[in-house]
Amino acid sequence: MSSVPITAFLALALILFCIGLYGALTKRNTIIVLISIELMLNAVNINLVTFSKYGMTPAITGQVFAVFVIAVAAAEVAVGIAILLALYRNRRTVNIDEINTMKH
Amino acid sequence: MNSIYLSLLVLSPLLGIVLLAFMPKTGEKGIKLVGVLATLPATVLALLAYFSYQGGKDLADYGEKVRWMQFGSFGQLDPNLFTVYYELGLDGFSLLMVVLTAVLASLAALASFHIKREWKGYFMLFLLLEIGMLGVFTAQNLILFFLFFEITLIPMFFLIGKWGYFNKEKAAYSFLVYNGLGSAVLLIVIMVLFAKTGTSNIEALKVFLNTEGAQLPTPVSDSVKMGLLIALLIAFGVKLPIFPLHSWMLRVHVEAPPSIVMLHSGVLLKIGAYGLIRFGMGIFPEQFAELAVLIAVLGVVNLLYGAFLAFIQTDFKMVLAYSSISHMGIVLIGLGANNEAGIQGAIFQVVSHGLISALLFFLVSVLYERVHTTNINNLGGLAKGMPLTAGFLLAGAMASLGLPGMSGFVSEFMAFLGLFREMPILAAVGCIGIIMTAVYLLRAVLAITYGRSDRQYAGISDLRSFEWAPVLVLIGLIVLIGVYPAVLSQPLESIVLGLGG
Amino acid sequence: MENAWLIPLFPLLSFVFLLLFGRKLKEGSAYAGILLTLASLVFSVIVLVERMAAPASYKAEAVWLKIGELELTAGFEVNQLNALMLVIVSLVSFLVHTYSKGYMHGDDRFHVFYAYLGLFTFAMLGLVLSPNLLQTYIFWELVGVGSFLLIGFYYFKNEARAAAKKAFIMTRIGDVGLLIGMILLFWQVGSFEYDEIFAAVEAGSISGTMITLTAILIFIGAVGKSGQFPLHTWLPDAMEGPTPVSALIHAATMVAAGVYLVAATFPLFAASETAMMTVAIIGAFTAIFAASIGLAQTNIKRVLAYSTVSQLGYMMLALGSAGYVAGVFHLMTHAFFKALLFLAAGSVIHALHHKQNIEEMGGLWKKLPLTGPLFLMGTLAISGVPLFSGFFSKDEILIAVWAHGNYFLFILAVIAAFFTAFYMFRLFFMVFTGEARSPLGNVQESPATMTMPMVVLGVLAVVAGYVNTPWFGTFLGDWLVEGNEALGHGHIEGPAWIMIVATLVSLAGIFLAYLMYYKKSLARDWFTSRAPITYSIVRNKYFIDEFYNLSVVYATRSVSLFLRFIELFLVEGLMKLVAGVVSLLGKSGSRFQNGQIQTYGMAAFLGLAVLLLIFALTGGYIG
Repeated sequence: MSSVPITAFLALALILFCIGLYGALTKRNTIIVLISIELMLNAVNINLVTFSKYGMTPAITGQVFAVFVIAVAAAEVAVGIAILLALYRNRRTVNIDEINTMKH
Repeated sequence: MNSIYLSLLVLSPLLGIVLLAFMPKTGEKGIKLVGVLATLPATVLALLAYFSYQGGKDLADYGEKVRWMQFGSFGQLDPNLFTVYYELGLDGFSLLMVVLTAVLASLAALASFHIKREWKGYFMLFLLLEIGMLGVFTAQNLILFFLFFEITLIPMFFLIGKWGYFNKEKAAYSFLVYNGLGSAVLLIVIMVLFAKTGTSNIEALKVFLNTEGAQLPTPVSDSVKMGLLIALLIAFGVKLPIFPLHSWMLRVHVEAPPSIVMLHSGVLLKIGAYGLIRFGMGIFPEQFAELAVLIAVLGVVNLLYGAFLAFIQTDFKMVLAYSSISHMGIVLIGLGANNEAGIQGAIFQVVSHGLISALLFFLVSVLYERVHTTNINNLGGLAKGMPLTAGFLLAGAMASLGLPGMSGFVSEFMAFLGLFREMPILAAVGCIGIIMTAVYLLRAVLAITYGRSDRQYAGISDLRSFEWAPVLVLIGLIVLIGVYPAVLSQPLESIVLGLGG
Repeated sequence: MENAWLIPLFPLLSFVFLLLFGRKLKEGSAYAGILLTLASLVFSVIVLVERMAAPASYKAEAVWLKIGELELTAGFEVNQLNALMLVIVSLVSFLVHTYSKGYMHGDDRFHVFYAYLGLFTFAMLGLVLSPNLLQTYIFWELVGVGSFLLIGFYYFKNEARAAAKKAFIMTRIGDVGLLIGMILLFWQVGSFEYDEIFAAVEAGSISGTMITLTAILIFIGAVGKSGQFPLHTWLPDAMEGPTPVSALIHAATMVAAGVYLVAATFPLFAASETAMMTVAIIGAFTAIFAASIGLAQTNIKRVLAYSTVSQLGYMMLALGSAGYVAGVFHLMTHAFFKALLFLAAGSVIHALHHKQNIEEMGGLWKKLPLTGPLFLMGTLAISGVPLFSGFFSKDEILIAVWAHGNYFLFILAVIAAFFTAFYMFRLFFMVFTGEARSPLGNVQESPATMTMPMVVLGVLAVVAGYVNTPWFGTFLGDWLVEGNEALGHGHIEGPAWIMIVATLVSLAGIFLAYLMYYKKSLARDWFTSRAPITYSIVRNKYFIDEFYNLSVVYATRSVSLFLRFIELFLVEGLMKLVAGVVSLLGKSGSRFQNGQIQTYGMAAFLGLAVLLLIFALTGGYIG
């Protein structure tokens, strides 16, 4: 079979997740934040697929779940961009620092 | 074993809450009627239990146990390990407390006729409070106890904050902050015990922690036990209250509506004493004996501190509030004595003070209703306009200062009898409190009832219709206990023998 | 004797009945009270006669309260002392009930007065029947409440309110002494029963210091109740109550309860020389101290009150000098003649429309043809003029003191007897002889309901002494100590000159009063003008009240204020601290809430990281 070890997949997922997390927590542009979230979700997908293949009890469930996540992520991005557009129309900005109405 | 008697008893006020929920907000009479009636089933059931116990029925028959929650997967090892049951039960002490609670709740509901607005919300909260109080005294494990304990806090907060006098919000918050902290400490104790022993049943804990070499998931060292007991002392000390944790209670006494203070001073403060006796003394008897001197000293401090401060108050409610602190000192004195006489005295004092303070606060309610002040400098010569109220006020004060023939004397006497055996010098110092009690009560009550009347009481009516019931019932019970103390001591026999160090 | 427990129940019934129905009965309440106390009196006399015929005492008990394995009992006992006391109490109470029907006529709260009288009589009879210290204490307090209620009967008067409060609190100070003594004894003996305590004392199972300590503590209780120095100040103030009450409670019965208590626990006192000495010294000092104050008072009831304090001191002196019989004997005769004096004084006050100052009285002998002679009889009895009852009992006391070897106290007692004779006749001459010193209005003799009880007491004030005389035999004394050696002898032999000295002293006192207030051959201010400072001290009762006001009351207030200071700064400070910490936590928590979702995410991530770190380092378990 493949000679790529499981740790390589997990390491890739981890790196991807950390990049995503970093982006989501530090970037000022909301678009970038959304993209970062997308990165994290895909890191999760990699994990799911990896374990569906190399886990203790390999099963197709993991891959099915990955498909689910892709679907949900697509929906989420659609909603996220919609909210963002609405905000941009109102506030003329996509800078996340200026969007703090949750404080009130 | 599995009767639903106690569940019925504890949850019966729920019926009233449901009924009230469907009633229109403005139907004052109907709401008050339902409010009072809803407290009656619990009273009837409690009295029935008391009399059938006197008739020879075994209290264990009232026990009730249903599996409720399971933590972790220890079930395979032992089905009881880390399992929480919904279990209610009665012993002599809790039977007395349940009767006291139920009776006082009915009387306080009657006293609530003086409430002027938003009766619907008031009575719903009132009944919820009653459920909590009844549950506290019947719960057989710590987690259930804690649950009911918390149930009493929330309605109390709203009842004080919404229906009280001028500074009601502040009083409600200080009530919540202090008692919240107290219950946080209590929760820690309960969780440590649960985690270390795998059970929260009170009887089981008594056995596990006091048997050498008992099989426990993790051993409990003596210093941990001492730490837990001190934490319990703080948790229940807030409730009792023990000096210097008492200032919240003064505000509540002064700001809450008198009908609620009847319950608060009559029952809720007693949860502190109940907890100390049931858990402190029951689960950690050896550590309790080590702390006995400290507790007795705290008791004498409470007694004298409350008495001296009551002496200079000008608001009658404040006098009664400090007098409650002072009288709770007697409970501590009895517990500090840690012998049969002392413990029995403490339990007697719990019941007796419940009745007496309920009576006095009811009379405060009657008084305030008519003259709109409780400042003793503005009152005087009340015996002219309201001879009956004045007479009962004097009788209540006499009961409170420990006049023989009334319940206060029996408890005070036994507590001191106990303490004189263990620490005579401290007890003799405490006796100053007996004199001071007479001084401050007579000062306040005579200033209100005797003397030249500065104001006109013409047109002020004396006790009328529904106001008779609480006064007569309470005076009757106070005298009954004072003359024939066996009504209390008999259910307590096994308890006191079991606890007496 | 088996039914002696019924005796206190009659007045209790009267109390309950009048509380419930008194409002409707109005002045008819008197009949209920009078009839029920009459029933008590009849039963008491039967019990006394039975006890005289019976060879031994009777005692019945039942368990009252169980404390673990301890059992406290309640019951009743009929022995010589309480059989005698039963008759004295129920007799005086019955007479006062009858008298009050006339005296209280027209009062709004007539029925309340009778209800209170019933309560008091119940408590007093219960006290007398008690077989153990606990029960004694219970009724002891109830008697105090009865007294408190009756002193404060005119509740609308501020003076009455103050007097009632003072009486209750001062006697309570004494009561706490009794309570402590009683509990200490209990843990030594294991019982509150008198017999068991005495048995333990006799067997020597209690240490000597403990006996002394408990005896003195019990004596403190007696000091409070019997108005002995230094707790005497409440008794004169108690005269704010209606006069029949003063006769019943503050002369004949309740204040004698202190003496009764010492007599009932006499074997305990007898076992400690120190305790006996304390009792004797306090008694003698009180006797002369109160008598000297009595010399300068101008209120008719206050003079009598101080004379009561002084006579009670005499009784204490007798008991402290091992004169058990003399003390009890004087208690009995004093009950009769002092009740007579108070009722007669009440009759005067009634006739003068509630005037009490003797400076405003005078020349009433003719206007009050019955009260006058009766008052004179009482005065002769208390002064110890031969052939009257007070003579025999006072003589007995002097002999006991001499025989016990307390020569200094003997001299004090003799001087006190001189004072007594002087101020009592001063009172008599000022009220009944000479000219009226102020317009007295229409003075009429009191109705028969008031004079008849006085006549009965007048007869008793003369004849009561003859039950125990050195001439005709000491029946009372022999009977009282029968079958109980611990109480001493029924009759103490003493030199015959004591009787002569006592007679001469009292006659001298009377003669001096005669010169000053009747013949007026000696100016009234002969003494006062020569020693104005002494006079002013005595007239102001040695400034004891002022002293207490300045010391005790002030001290209590300052302690309270000091504690309030603690309350305000320490406890409230704690409260503020708690509130401060909570709101600080809240504020610092709310700073995180800046609306930046990225900060929230960062916090969550950091929290998770910390938890994982701990998990990795500790392996998942803390503690």
